[in-house]
Amino acid sequence: MSRRSLERKELSRLEVTRLYLERTKRLNPLLNAYVTLTEERALADAARAEQEIQRGLYRGPLHGIPFSIKDNLATNGVRTTAGSKILDDWVPDHDATVVKRLKDAGAIVLGKTNMHEWALGGTTINPFYGTTRNPWDTERIAGGSSGGSAVAVAAGMCLASIGTDSAQSVRNPASMCGIVGLKPTYGRVSQYGTVPGTGAYSTNHTGVLTRTVEDCAWVLQMIAGDDDNDPQSSQESVPNYAQSLGREVRGLRIGLLRGFFDEHMASEVRENFTQAMETLKQLGMQVEEVTTPHINLIPAIKVCTSRVENAAAHDPYLRTRARDYSKQTLYSYISALLTPATTYVMAQRARRLVCDEFDELLKRVQLLVLPTIPFPVPSIEECQSGVIEIDGKKIKRQDARGGLESLCCIPFNVTGLPAISVCCGFSKSGMPMGMQIAGGAFQEDLVLRVAQAYERATEWYKLRPKLTV
Amino acid sequence: MEDQIRKLNQEYGFNLSEDEIQLIAQRTAEFERLFQCLYKVDLAGMTPLLKFDREPS
Repeated sequence: MSRRSLERKELSRLEVTRLYLERTKRLNPLLNAYVTLTEERALADAARAEQEIQRGLYRGPLHGIPFSIKDNLATNGVRTTAGSKILDDWVPDHDATVVKRLKDAGAIVLGKTNMHEWALGGTTINPFYGTTRNPWDTERIAGGSSGGSAVAVAAGMCLASIGTDSAQSVRNPASMCGIVGLKPTYGRVSQYGTVPGTGAYSTNHTGVLTRTVEDCAWVLQMIAGDDDNDPQSSQESVPNYAQSLGREVRGLRIGLLRGFFDEHMASEVRENFTQAMETLKQLGMQVEEVTTPHINLIPAIKVCTSRVENAAAHDPYLRTRARDYSKQTLYSYISALLTPATTYVMAQRARRLVCDEFDELLKRVQLLVLPTIPFPVPSIEECQSGVIEIDGKKIKRQDARGGLESLCCIPFNVTGLPAISVCCGFSKSGMPMGMQIAGGAFQEDLVLRVAQAYERATEWYKLRPKLTV
Repeated sequence: MEDQIRKLNQEYGFNLSEDEIQLIAQRTAEFERLFQCLYKVDLAGMTPLLKFDREPS
């Protein structure tokens, strides 16, 4: 259900919240999308929202809308684990800015969603809180690290969710679950209240997961903007995103981005993406292949900066609770401690080079497109074995660059440019696939406009997973 | 590499086994190989991008 269709139904906000909570309690044992449900608070907030609306105190389009929040965003009085054993009993005394802004807009928080341990991976196979399962096929991964958020939206266990994205973590699960996932420009949405060490300082972003592009625009509207608590947040003014939807897309110049991520692109993804390009052309856009001179540096820049920055954030826990990390996470941080400072600085110098080249490219084309994930959604079993099959070839899912599923997403973490994933079809196994649309800094309005034009032209977003619980 | 890991093991109190030290050493070597490209590119005139103030395009 989208926000618009919900508003068309003449249900009270309290009835809506009850329906979502009942559905969530029915589905969560199967999908493991939520780690904490805040039922009592949600019902109290929904009752208050209903009273306010009846008294004419309408706060706007998110008033009474049921949300979920990724479990690495601080929620006042509600446990916030970051998918970790170390924080399994941490109850913050403050809200993350994004949570506060949603509450101020009247949104109803239903609970906290499962995630990859410390947001350090793209599967949401979590050793402490269990595996989150994909609602399109529960034997397959949900993606990650915001896997619980994507599943909650896709399975109708909330209307929208807030996630974080340091390498892929909003767009990857959005793609794998067939929904919309937006990583805005760096600084567009405050990161205050994000658990330190769940996303590197240089590349982390707060993002939005919704059923439709229009919903995404409304949520972004409410959470975007400068924040005194976040020195990295931008003072750039926030435009009216919903107003840009539906405007002309004819004549826009689109660059089909080529680079290192093409190496593991499955034929099914290529075929599907070719169809998506045809749709953009039919909508009147001009598509050409593009790249940048040093695009192949991106994995090294991303891995070096993120790992070092994350390890620095984890230093106190590494000294006191090292064995409360999963082995894979612990080994990753120990290895990061061995990265020379000179290498980190070289990576940040190379990042400037790459950013300059992307800015230059975006003077020639207005938007960039590429698949969100290079291969169809793998099974949980494949991910646990560490080997996935692409076009009949067995390939290690992870190498020094990280999970291969992140490769198409990381260019926009390194450059900080806004990128959205929208569903662009289904694999032969019936799993959703996503297309990324990225734009220049603070051009979320243009990104959303083209994403919605594509969404409306194809209507993949109307398909729902069949869940029989 | 193994000696550096042993030093960290002592300093941080990780209590790593010898097998774990070998595994971490192997992974660290893989990362070093990945990072080599950063030293092969001409970065003359490029200052580190340490604070990310994005300007509107």
